[in-house]
Amino acid sequence: MNREEAPGKSPEDMYVQQKVRVLLMLKKMGSNLTPSEEAFLRNYAGVVHSQMSQLPQHNIDQGAEDVVMAFSRSEAEDRRQ
Amino acid sequence: MMSMQMSEADSVVKVAEWQQTYYASDSGIQSGATTVLDDESSTEYSGCKKYISTKTSTTTVPATATTVGGGNTAAGGLESPTDLDNQFSLTRAQRVRAAMFPETLVEGEEAMPVQSDPSQQSNVQLLAEPSQLLKTAIVHLINYQDDAELATRAVPELTKLLADEDPIVVNKAAMIVNQLTRKEASRRVLVQSPTMVGAVVRAMTTAVDMETARCAASVLHSLSHQKEGLLAIFKSGGIPALVRMLSSPVESVLFYAITTLHNLLLHQEGAKMAVRLADGLQRMVPLLKKSNPKFLAITTDCLQLLSYGNQESKLIILANGGPEGLVFITRNYNYEKLLWTTSRVLKVLSVCPSNKPAIVEAGGMQALGQHLTGSSQRLIQNCLWTLRNLSDAATKQDGLDGLLQILVTQLGSDDVNMLTCATGILSNLTCNNSRNKTLVTQYGGVEALIHAVLRAGEKEDVAEPAVCALRHLTSRHQDAELAQNAVRLHYGIPAVAKLLGQPHYWPVVKATVGLIRNLALCPANQAPMREAGAIPRLVNLLLKAHQDTQRHASSAQQTYQDGVRMEEIVEGCTGALHILARDPMNRGEIASMQTIPLFVQLLYSYVENVKRVSAGVLCELALDKQSAELIDAEGASAPLMELLHSNNEGIATYAAAVLFRISEDKSSDYRKRVSVELTHSLFKHDPAAWEMAHTAVPLEHTYLADELDGCYPPYGYTDLPLDSLPLDPDLHEPYIPDMTYDPRQAYPEPL
Repeated sequence: MNREEAPGKSPEDMYVQQKVRVLLMLKKMGSNLTPSEEAFLRNYAGVVHSQMSQLPQHNIDQGAEDVVMAFSRSEAEDRRQ
Repeated sequence: MMSMQMSEADSVVKVAEWQQTYYASDSGIQSGATTVLDDESSTEYSGCKKYISTKTSTTTVPATATTVGGGNTAAGGLESPTDLDNQFSLTRAQRVRAAMFPETLVEGEEAMPVQSDPSQQSNVQLLAEPSQLLKTAIVHLINYQDDAELATRAVPELTKLLADEDPIVVNKAAMIVNQLTRKEASRRVLVQSPTMVGAVVRAMTTAVDMETARCAASVLHSLSHQKEGLLAIFKSGGIPALVRMLSSPVESVLFYAITTLHNLLLHQEGAKMAVRLADGLQRMVPLLKKSNPKFLAITTDCLQLLSYGNQESKLIILANGGPEGLVFITRNYNYEKLLWTTSRVLKVLSVCPSNKPAIVEAGGMQALGQHLTGSSQRLIQNCLWTLRNLSDAATKQDGLDGLLQILVTQLGSDDVNMLTCATGILSNLTCNNSRNKTLVTQYGGVEALIHAVLRAGEKEDVAEPAVCALRHLTSRHQDAELAQNAVRLHYGIPAVAKLLGQPHYWPVVKATVGLIRNLALCPANQAPMREAGAIPRLVNLLLKAHQDTQRHASSAQQTYQDGVRMEEIVEGCTGALHILARDPMNRGEIASMQTIPLFVQLLYSYVENVKRVSAGVLCELALDKQSAELIDAEGASAPLMELLHSNNEGIATYAAAVLFRISEDKSSDYRKRVSVELTHSLFKHDPAAWEMAHTAVPLEHTYLADELDGCYPPYGYTDLPLDSLPLDPDLHEPYIPDMTYDPRQAYPEPL
């Protein structure tokens, strides 16, 4: 694969495509976009961009997984009553 | 005949002499005074009496002259010849006894003549007015010595009879011994005879009839109430014998055996080991199926005594179905003492990693949860501690709705033990369990946990699990947003922010930064967080933790404080600041605290999660032009370019976004280089997307649908599995060949 240029695509076009993808992924992860980035997406992603709001929130956004606490490390005798 | 008559008279005298020494009433050895029943049906001494009178020889007490003691009494007065005769035959002791306890006199002893004039009482008569209590005590003493005497004489013969070949003889002997144990005096004699106790043990073990076994077991049971008895049983091999009796079909034998073993376990040193060696646990656990609550209480107490601190015993209990039996009792009985003893066994087993899941699978959580609202405080507390121990193994259990609701209610308690347990159990049961999270949120758990945090103060055992539970409730379930809002609505944000202050208990700090991150996901919480001073606290903690990691960077060891790695604090604080930075004003405050250089430095961290969160916060900060320029000025391009190749798509995305934001004003060459690097990173796992990206502009719906439904790795602290294609080494050439990524080196030249 020629890593300098994709066949049939100018560097500018590639840049645009990559940026669209990155921005869409950012939105999916819950991050903000600048006004110009929003406009960029509107210009270049068209219909797909408008559907972004319907996509579920990416689980990256939801924080780290929960971790249990191990309480049963030692036993203590209770007073016999 | 003459000699016989003379020997009879001698015997009377001799018994009288014997009585002098002992102050005893007539034992009946001559007079038969104590005979009550005939010996065929009797279990009283009369049987013994007849046996003794035929088997033993007459006591040969050396004849001594009877003493009259003090002669005339102080009573004075004339005495008749009969009186004189009586006085001659009575000893001083007998005269005292006659005055004090006339009812204990035997034939031949007559009361002393009493002065008719009350004003002239004899000294003895004056003495003859002890309190009733003293009198009773002395009468008992008199009888005591009598029984001891009898038992001492009987023990050797009874010992032999217990070993007789004839089971009827053994049976009778056992019954007699059983009777002897009913009185303290004779019982004391028995415990001092190891051979007798050994004979009882053997008789019990070899008994061919249930009655003999029952009598013998009863004997051991009686003896087990004294220290000497316990020792005698222990030394005579009683423990293995009693353990064998646990298989008896006779309920009374079972009861005697388990109770005797219980006494031994409680009070006899070495008994626990002996019971274990005799396979006592294997015999006791099946007894959990019995239905007598008092019997079960003793049995479960035995199990607790045997298993506390002994891992092998716990495993034996597990292997014999102990958890199921104990949970069954917990679920089906109401007798408080039994529930308490059972909960103690469960508590002991709940620290065993093998027993824990078995108890949970048997329904232990639900069963223990039934007893949290009763009136027995000791039972409630034991159940809570056990539930807490079990909780980390119960995160996938169903049917805990009722338990969760009770625990939320208990968060209102002032009892620190109850709070510690309730918060701990809730924290674990809401761990990765979306249903439990939703339930606890619906039961008002957020508000209750905030109050628990406020009341906990510096009690970390309450604060840490309470904050962890809030952290769980504020993410990854359908009501997470509700919970995030609820924290704010119940004035929880200032309390949470305060937990970041000193003194730092790092597990609480770690839990709190995670909670703050989740709270910041709710836009309405951003301003309250800022107003509560969360941002400077987070930044200061981050700096402190980062400095600590740098100080120890040269050594290979990781640093722990209170069991927490400082890398975790770095990651947590940066992660919280990342989400807080979504708010424009927060973003400005974060940037104004000179944090950008630190975030850029963190891009070089060897911890992948730290790389991700620092790329994430820089991505948010770069939304502001001024911050984007600062980021570029700090030389972030180089590490970001490298991060484009990360296997973690989140990292690659953030890095790309920052590069796009700092390259807006850059030359087209720069943008081309970014683009090329992006091409080889973002599309390397998705050749179809690469293909489509070259064929369709604008991007088509179907392509994006496939892309967005793809497998993003889950966000988490552990290394993330990635559904990826193998990297083609031919495609991956470093753009700047001499670039290295040692975080300790100076930043490379910016592009």
